[in-house]
Amino acid sequence: MKLENEDALDNLIICHQCYTLHEEVPIEDGSKACCSECGGILYRYDSGLVDHGLALSISGLIFFTLANAFPLIQVDILGNEQFITIPKTIFSLFDNGFYIVGFICIFLIFVFPLMIFLINILLFLLLKLKRGKRLTKDLLILLSHIKPWSMPDIFFISILVALVKLVAFGQIHIGIAFWALMVFVLIDIYITKSIHLSEIWMLRKRILLNREPK
Amino acid sequence: MIEVDEDKLIRCPVCDAVNIDKGKKNTCRRCGSAIYHHRSFSTEKSWAFLITAMVAYIPANLYPMLVTNAFGTKDESTILGGVVLLWELESYPVAAIIFFASIVIPVLKFLILIYLLISVKYPLGKDKKVNKHKLYYMTEIVGPWSMIDVFVVAILAALIHLSSVEILAGTAATAFAISVFFTLLAAHAFDETLIKGK
Repeated sequence: MKLENEDALDNLIICHQCYTLHEEVPIEDGSKACCSECGGILYRYDSGLVDHGLALSISGLIFFTLANAFPLIQVDILGNEQFITIPKTIFSLFDNGFYIVGFICIFLIFVFPLMIFLINILLFLLLKLKRGKRLTKDLLILLSHIKPWSMPDIFFISILVALVKLVAFGQIHIGIAFWALMVFVLIDIYITKSIHLSEIWMLRKRILLNREPK
Repeated sequence: MIEVDEDKLIRCPVCDAVNIDKGKKNTCRRCGSAIYHHRSFSTEKSWAFLITAMVAYIPANLYPMLVTNAFGTKDESTILGGVVLLWELESYPVAAIIFFASIVIPVLKFLILIYLLISVKYPLGKDKKVNKHKLYYMTEIVGPWSMIDVFVVAILAALIHLSSVEILAGTAATAFAISVFFTLLAAHAFDETLIKGK
């Protein structure tokens, strides 16, 4: 295989799922390219990626705030009303002496999801303003390190499982935060599944590095 | 003009850029991160995390996960006990979810990682037919889902703490969380470039 220089490597892509080497070809706006071996998505092309990403990240952050500020579930047991919020769930672990679990949970369901959305907002904002060559690089590296550790979707499924177990204890009321968390999780899944980091890297290259006329 | 062998092209684990494998000290040309620096002990790091995870998985199954204090009677249930209890209460879907998340997925992940770690060093006879990249990708995707049980216990313990009825997390919660944490680390530490050919 012959290459002009190392930059020509950017036209190549290795499939996430099966490690097959592919050459990137231009595709239609709004469509996606799939791996010929395993059918996994290689990349998408979206001409409005910056705006879409920014809009989704901001709405995600709003729903994240709502999900943390309001009660998640409320139970009436023996005449007592008890409710939880997401921060309260984590703090009660600390109160009961489960420091390690509490520490892991606070990162997995609070700090990392929040960081991902803040980084996304900053990243797309910088790309929109066409500046911050160094900062976008650092942010992208940080983002790829924390992405596998963010688990709001798993937490949401856990709430559903907990609800089934709670039926035996008394009347259950679902709070506002539950619905907010559901929307947040949907946005989070959409962002992590449909915007690959390599697409943002390519976008950064197009916007920030090739600005000077040749 | 440079000539490269297609097998020499590797993917940066951080930014997905395609790089040329230059032997020992690979740094990504796009993001500057080291691409699996430790060639001299390629699988040992992953082994270490994996063994820690397996050790932590033993107390996670032996100690109680959930302690229920209802009107003075103390009821402790382990992970497997909780699944059996849910099954008896006829909540089959939930029992199945917990069974998959806390027993099937971790054990399967241990076995797959052990298989991958051994087979990249000592190629076995017929394993060319197995798509190891796909196997590795699968463990990465399903791995975090084992956290379900820990989160459920956290929610229940936070919600129900009256003087007469109280749910507490058990010792197993800590052990299980540690076990999942280390399996995730083991999977991340695995050097995907060691899998050769398809």
